[in-house]
Amino acid sequence: MSILHDIPVLSLILLSPLLGLIVVLLLPKHRSSWLKTAAFIATLIPLALSLWLYSDYDKQQSGAPFDEQLNWVEVPLNKELQNGVSEFMFKFQYALGIDGLSLPLVLLTALVTAMAALAAFHVKKRWKSFFVWFLLLETGMLGVFLARDVFLFFVFFEITLIAMYFLIGIWGYHNRERAANQFLLYNGIGSAIMLLAFVLLVNTAGFRIEQIGEQANFIYSGSYADIARNMADPNAWVNMSPEQLDMFNPFQMTDTMQWVLFIMLLVAFGIKLPVFPFHTWMLKVHTEAPPSVVMIHSGVLLKMGAYGLLRFGVMLFPEQARDWAVVLALLGVVNILYGAVLAFRQQEFKLVLAYSSISHMGIVLLGLAAFNEIGLQGAVFQLVSHGLISALLFLIVGSMYERTGTTELSKLGGLARSMPFMSGVLLTAGLASLGLPGLSGFVGEFLSLLGLFESMRWLTAAAVLGVILTAVYVLRSVLKITFGPQHEKYSPLKDARLIEAIPMIVLLAFILLLGCYPSVLTDTVQYSIGGLFEQLLATRAGG
Amino acid sequence: MEMYSQAAWLIPLFPLAAFLVLTALGRSFRRAGVFIGSIGSLAAFALSLLIVIDRLGANAVDYNYAFDWIRIGDYTLRIGFEVTNLTAMMLVVVTLVSFLVNVYSAGYMKNDERITVFYGYVALFTFSMLGLVLSDNLLSLYIFWELVGVCSFLLVGFWYSKPKARAAAKKAFIVTRIGDAGLLIGILLLFWYMPNHALDFTTIQSVFDGQTGAITTGITTLIALLIFLGAVGKSGQFPLHVWLPDAMEGPTPISALIHAATMVAAGVFLIARTYDIFQDSAAAMETVAYVGGFTAIFAATVALAQNDIKRILAYSTVSQLGYMMMALGLHSLTGGIFHLFTHAFFKALLFLGAGSIIHAVHTQNINEMGGLGSKMRVTAWTFAIGALALSGIPPFSGFWSKDMILTAALETNPLLFVVGLAGAFCTALYMSRLFFLVFMGKPKSAAAGAHESPATMTFPLIVLAVLAIIAGFVETPWNGWFGSWLSGEPEDAHGSGVVIIASIAVGLLGIYLGWLVYGKGSVSRTVIAERLPWLVKLLERSYYVDELYAAVIVKPLKAIGAALSVFDEYVVGGVVRVAGAATSSVGRLSARLQNGQVQTYSLAAVIGFVIIVVAIVGRRFLP
Repeated sequence: MSILHDIPVLSLILLSPLLGLIVVLLLPKHRSSWLKTAAFIATLIPLALSLWLYSDYDKQQSGAPFDEQLNWVEVPLNKELQNGVSEFMFKFQYALGIDGLSLPLVLLTALVTAMAALAAFHVKKRWKSFFVWFLLLETGMLGVFLARDVFLFFVFFEITLIAMYFLIGIWGYHNRERAANQFLLYNGIGSAIMLLAFVLLVNTAGFRIEQIGEQANFIYSGSYADIARNMADPNAWVNMSPEQLDMFNPFQMTDTMQWVLFIMLLVAFGIKLPVFPFHTWMLKVHTEAPPSVVMIHSGVLLKMGAYGLLRFGVMLFPEQARDWAVVLALLGVVNILYGAVLAFRQQEFKLVLAYSSISHMGIVLLGLAAFNEIGLQGAVFQLVSHGLISALLFLIVGSMYERTGTTELSKLGGLARSMPFMSGVLLTAGLASLGLPGLSGFVGEFLSLLGLFESMRWLTAAAVLGVILTAVYVLRSVLKITFGPQHEKYSPLKDARLIEAIPMIVLLAFILLLGCYPSVLTDTVQYSIGGLFEQLLATRAGG
Repeated sequence: MEMYSQAAWLIPLFPLAAFLVLTALGRSFRRAGVFIGSIGSLAAFALSLLIVIDRLGANAVDYNYAFDWIRIGDYTLRIGFEVTNLTAMMLVVVTLVSFLVNVYSAGYMKNDERITVFYGYVALFTFSMLGLVLSDNLLSLYIFWELVGVCSFLLVGFWYSKPKARAAAKKAFIVTRIGDAGLLIGILLLFWYMPNHALDFTTIQSVFDGQTGAITTGITTLIALLIFLGAVGKSGQFPLHVWLPDAMEGPTPISALIHAATMVAAGVFLIARTYDIFQDSAAAMETVAYVGGFTAIFAATVALAQNDIKRILAYSTVSQLGYMMMALGLHSLTGGIFHLFTHAFFKALLFLGAGSIIHAVHTQNINEMGGLGSKMRVTAWTFAIGALALSGIPPFSGFWSKDMILTAALETNPLLFVVGLAGAFCTALYMSRLFFLVFMGKPKSAAAGAHESPATMTFPLIVLAVLAIIAGFVETPWNGWFGSWLSGEPEDAHGSGVVIIASIAVGLLGIYLGWLVYGKGSVSRTVIAERLPWLVKLLERSYYVDELYAAVIVKPLKAIGAALSVFDEYVVGGVVRVAGAATSSVGRLSARLQNGQVQTYSLAAVIGFVIIVVAIVGRRFLP
C-alpha cells in the first residue's frame, strides 16, 4: 500500500489549482512574472499527483480504493410516505473516484493545463484575472473527470463554461465577444439539455433504500454507482412495469423514456464533441480565443463531450447505443470527411486545425460505434492522443503568431529557415495528426478502424478515405508555412525560446511514448473497458 | 548454426542510434555527421553480411522473435522480426547500398549547410527500411512501411525552400498514401478473417497454402488486390506512378538509395512476403502480371522522350519495377526477387553516376552535356557497365534476371512476353540515347569545365559496377542456385534458347539504333518529331496522366470543398446566426442599459435559462 491510499489524493488533485488561485489573488496585479510563475507551479501540483496516481494505479482494483465521498446537502422531500418508508430525501454528494477511463483523462488535463500555463507566457494584459479564470477552469475540468455524482459533474461542467467564457471574451482576438457569446449560447443549451436528462435520470434510477431498523430511508442521489446499478438490474424498480410490480411505479423508465434520455445525452454531449452540424461554435473559439486557452479547449474540453457520451450515453443505455451504432458510425464518418474536406479549403491555419479537430473527433465516434473492446479502446486512445497533438499544434500556433503576427497561410512561408526547431516540431505534430505510425495518432485511428471493421465494413472503408484526405490538408498547410521560399520580413525572426521549447518537447515526448509503447495507456483502460464490455455483451445477448 | 540470425534485431538499431546521435548533435559537427552516419550503416552491413554467410548452407532455419505490442482482451497486436533467406538477402542489399550512399554523400553533399540533417534522415530511413524488411507480420510491416514513406517525403523535400521540391514531397506522400489506404483495409480484412486474428507471415502462409478453405476465394482476391494497391503506390506502378519522377527533386544520392534500390522495391517485397495469398487467387495474379507488364512498357516509352537525366532514370525504375511485378504475377517469385536484387545494384550505380555528372556540370538536361567520356573516365566506364546491365546485355547482371522473367512470360503468357521484349528494346534504346548524348560527341556549354568527381564519390561507383557485373551469376539458365536458396526447394534450370537469343537481339538492336541516331548521327534526331509531333509531345508529357488527375480528382475535390464551405457558412451557420442575432440584440439592449457589460448579461441569460429548466423539471420531485 502506498502513501497515496492514506491521503485524499483525488481531492488534492482537484483542489490544488484553487490553492494556486488564492495565491494568485494575493499577489500584486502588475507583477506579471510572479503571477505567471505562481500559476505554473499551481498546475504542476495536480500534474505531479496524477502522474504518481497513474503509476501507482492498480489496474485490477479499478481505482476503488481511491473513492472519496462526503454528503454535502440533504434535502428532505415533501413526498407522501408509504408503508415502511420513514423519509424521502435528496442527497447531494461530493463523490470523487477514478477508473481506467477517467484516470488517463485526468492526467491529460493536468498535463495540457501545465503546458498551457507555460504558453500563457504570451498573455499581454490583466494577468491576475487571467490566471484566476485559468486555474478555476482547471479545477472544473478535473472535477468533470473525477466526479462520481451527476450533479457534481454538472457543477464542474458549468464551471468550465463560465471560466472559458471569460477567457475567450476578455483575452481573445478581434471578434472575441461574439465568439464568447456563441460559445456560451451553444454550450448553455447543451448543458440545459444535459441537466434535464440528469434530473430525469435521478428521478427514476437515482435512488437507493437505506434500511435503519424497521424504517427505511428513501434516498435520491446522483451517484453513478446507484444509477448504473439500478439501470443494469432487471429486478430494480426502474426496469419493472406496474403490472410486474403489482403497484403504481413512479420509477419505471419506459422504453420511450430511455430513448428520449439517450438522444438528449447524445445531443448534449454531441454539441461539445462537436458532432456535425453542431460544430460552428468551436470554429469561432479556435480562431478567437488566445492560443493557450485553445490548447485547453481543443486538448481537453472537447474530450469532455466524448467522455460524457461514453460514461452516460453508452454505459447507461447500451441497448440504445447498440441499436444506434450505425447512426453513431455515420455521424463519425460525416465528421471525418466533412472536417477533412473543409480543412483543405481554409486559408487560416487556425481554421484548418479547427476543422481537423472535427475530423479527428469523428474517429472517436467510430470507436464508440464499433461496440467492441478494440473500438472502445481506440476511442479512448484517440481522445488522449488528439488532446496531446492538438495542444501541441496550438502551442506552436501561439509562438508563431507572436513572431509573424499572422496565421494566414498565404502570408506565411519558408519559416523552416529562420525557425528550424519550431518548424520541425510543427511538421512532427502534423505527421502525428495524420496518423504516422510511431506517433500516438496512428494507434487511436488504427484501433478505432479495426474495431468498427468487424461490424461495418463499408463505413470503415469510407472513413479510411479520410486518412488520405488528412494527409492532403495537413501537408498542404504545414508545408505552406514551413517549406518554400522565405518571406523577407521573416528572416530576422528567432527560433523558440527555452520556455517555449520545453512544453513542445514534453508534449512531443508523450506523443512518441504513446505511439511506440501504447500499452502504457491501453492496459490502464483495459480493466474498466473490459468490465463495461461484459455488461454490454450481456445486453447484446439479452437484446 | 544460425547464431548471427538471432542478433538480427541489432541491425536496425545501428542506424537508429546514428539518427538519434545526429539529431541530438544538431547542425554543428559537420564532419562527425558523415562519420556517424557511415559507421551506423557499415555496422549494419557487416552484421547483415555475417547473417547471409551463415545462411548460405542448405536448410537454414528461419529465426523469429515477436512481442505483444497492444493487448486488448483476447486480441493481441504484435511486433516482431524474422530472418529468412529472403529477408537476409534484402538486409544485405539495403545496408550495402545505404553504406555506399553514405560514403558518396560525403562528397556530393559536402557544401550543403544541412549535411548533418541529411545524414540523420538517411539513417532514419535505413532504420525504417531494415525494420520493414525484418518485420514478421503485416502490422509491423505496415508501421515501417509508413515510416519509410515519411523519410522519403523528408528527403525529397530536403531542399525545402524550392517550391518544386515542396510540391514533389507532398505529392510523393499523398499518392503513396492512396495505396497505403488500400493496404490498411487489406490488413483490417485479414485481421477479422484470419484464424485467431493472426497477421504474421508464417500463419498467413499456412492458412493460404494449406487450402483449408478457411477464407473464400472472393475474399482472398479482395485481400490480395488491396495489398497489391499498397504495392502499386510504393513501387510506382501505373496508375500511381506519378510521384516517382517528381521525387527526383530530392538530392541524387537519395534517388539512388530510396527511389531506385530499396524503398520502391518494398512493394515487390511485400507481395513476395504475402505470396501465398496471391497464389490462391488467379484473378489477383493476373492483375499483378498485367499491371506490371503495362507499367514496364508504358514507362519505358516515356523514358525515350525525356531530357532530364534523372527523370529518364526514374521512368526506367518504374519500368523495371513493372518487370518485377510482372514476374510475380506470372508465378515466378524467383524472377521478381532476382530482378529486384540485380536492379538494386545497377540502378543505384546509374543514379550515383548521374549524380557524379550533375555534380560536375550543374545541369540535368542531357542536351546540354556531351563529351564527358574523356573528362570523367571512372564515371563514364562505370555508367556504361550500369547501362549495359540495364539494357540486358550478357554477361552483365540485368541480362540474367530479365531473361528469367521473359522465360516465365513465354511459358505462360505470350502476350506479356512480347510486351516484355518491346520494353527491353525501349530500355536499350533510351539508355544508349542517354549514354551517347552525355558521354560522346562534342562538349556542350555546361560540360566545358567538367572534371572527375572526388574519390568518395567514385569509390561507390566502382563497388557497384563490380556488383552490376557479377550479381547475375547467382542464377543462370543453367544453374538455379538463387531460386532454390530463396525458396528452400531445388529448382530446375530454366534455360530457353529462344528467350536468350531474342532478348540479346532486341538489346543490341536498341543500342545500335541509339548509336545510329545519337552517336554516329547518321539518322536525323528530328525525323520523328517532324513526322509525328503529337507522339513526341504525348511521350514528353508522360501521356498526360498528371493532367488527367488534375481534371478528374483534384478539381472535383476542390469544387466539393467550395460547395461545402458555402454550405457550412450559410446553411449550418445560418441557423446559428438567427440564434446569435437574438442574443446579440439582448446583448445590445443590456449594453445600452449597463455600460458595456455584455458578457455578464448574456451569461446571466443562459444561467437563467438553465434555472428555468431545472425549476420546471424539479417540480416532479414535489407532490
